[in-house]
Amino acid sequence: MKSTENMEQFVRDAKPHVTTGESMDRRVLSDSFAAMDERLAAVRPGPPTKILASRIMRFAAAAVIIIAMVGLLIVYKCPRQQVANQKVLKIAKSPAEMLTAWSLMTAYRHGGIEALDNQCDKAFEMSGQQRDTLNMKELLAEIEIDLERTEL
Amino acid sequence: MVIDDKILVWRFNRGSKDALRRIYEKYKDDLLGLAITLLRDRSLAEDVVHDVFVSFAGATGTFRLSGTLKGYLSTCVANGARDRNRLKSGSNVGLEAAEAVDFDCDGPLEGAARCEEAQRLDNLLARLPYEQREVIVLHLHQEMRFREVAQALGVSINTAQSRYRYGMDKLRSIFNNTVTQ
Repeated sequence: MKSTENMEQFVRDAKPHVTTGESMDRRVLSDSFAAMDERLAAVRPGPPTKILASRIMRFAAAAVIIIAMVGLLIVYKCPRQQVANQKVLKIAKSPAEMLTAWSLMTAYRHGGIEALDNQCDKAFEMSGQQRDTLNMKELLAEIEIDLERTEL
Repeated sequence: MVIDDKILVWRFNRGSKDALRRIYEKYKDDLLGLAITLLRDRSLAEDVVHDVFVSFAGATGTFRLSGTLKGYLSTCVANGARDRNRLKSGSNVGLEAAEAVDFDCDGPLEGAARCEEAQRLDNLLARLPYEQREVIVLHLHQEMRFREVAQALGVSINTAQSRYRYGMDKLRSIFNNTVTQ
């Protein structure tokens, strides 16, 4: 008489040992490879997947994103006018340089009449002088005098 | 062993045919033995193993392994064998319908003795209802826990355990009857 434990042991020990035939191996592997190829062809990765698949490409993509974000931050934090004015101020170190035609033209191109005005203020500020305030009539009179001089 | 399987699955998911070949080489005999024990028909069993591997290969890239690879493949084979068994008329093989299955018996003496034991077990298992045979084989031959067996068969743990208990009782009584005769 066999007890339950003995019976379990008997079933375990009597586990059949079978081996697959060569023809079966060939059939299974060739069909499996075909199924695998089919699947891989169906799920061929798109450009984003390809980028993510390669480690180098992943780093490159991350670097591009970071650079783009830093660029955007710079643009939004420092508007164009300020950048232009700072640029001119950095290049032109003395008030005289700041009031040359080239400096004033550069400031005007980058920030318009306001930038030009700012640069003049800055130049006067640096030289310790106060800019005279001109009204429109005086300004026109000055221009007329200049024109008369040139005509003569 | 498990880590080895994880690496193989990882490589398989990246489209490595070598990994698929290794998985097949590693488990083919075990799975064929399981299918033969369940179906008692070598050609049907080969078809089941074939279908399991072809469908497994078709899952490359998206295959996620939650338990062991052996458990997963054994479950697939058991499910495939159950489907074939349903298709086959007279699924619960009776004594009359039971045919001897040829097992590979290599080696002069030890091999012959083991082969005889395997034949004997095969004859005993053939008298059990398919559901009981399935649970016994998955638990004792494939070393799957009752929880895994229950999950694989889509039944509760209690059902799996009771099928096992009834099956073992019946197996013991058949064995003892044949010995006393």
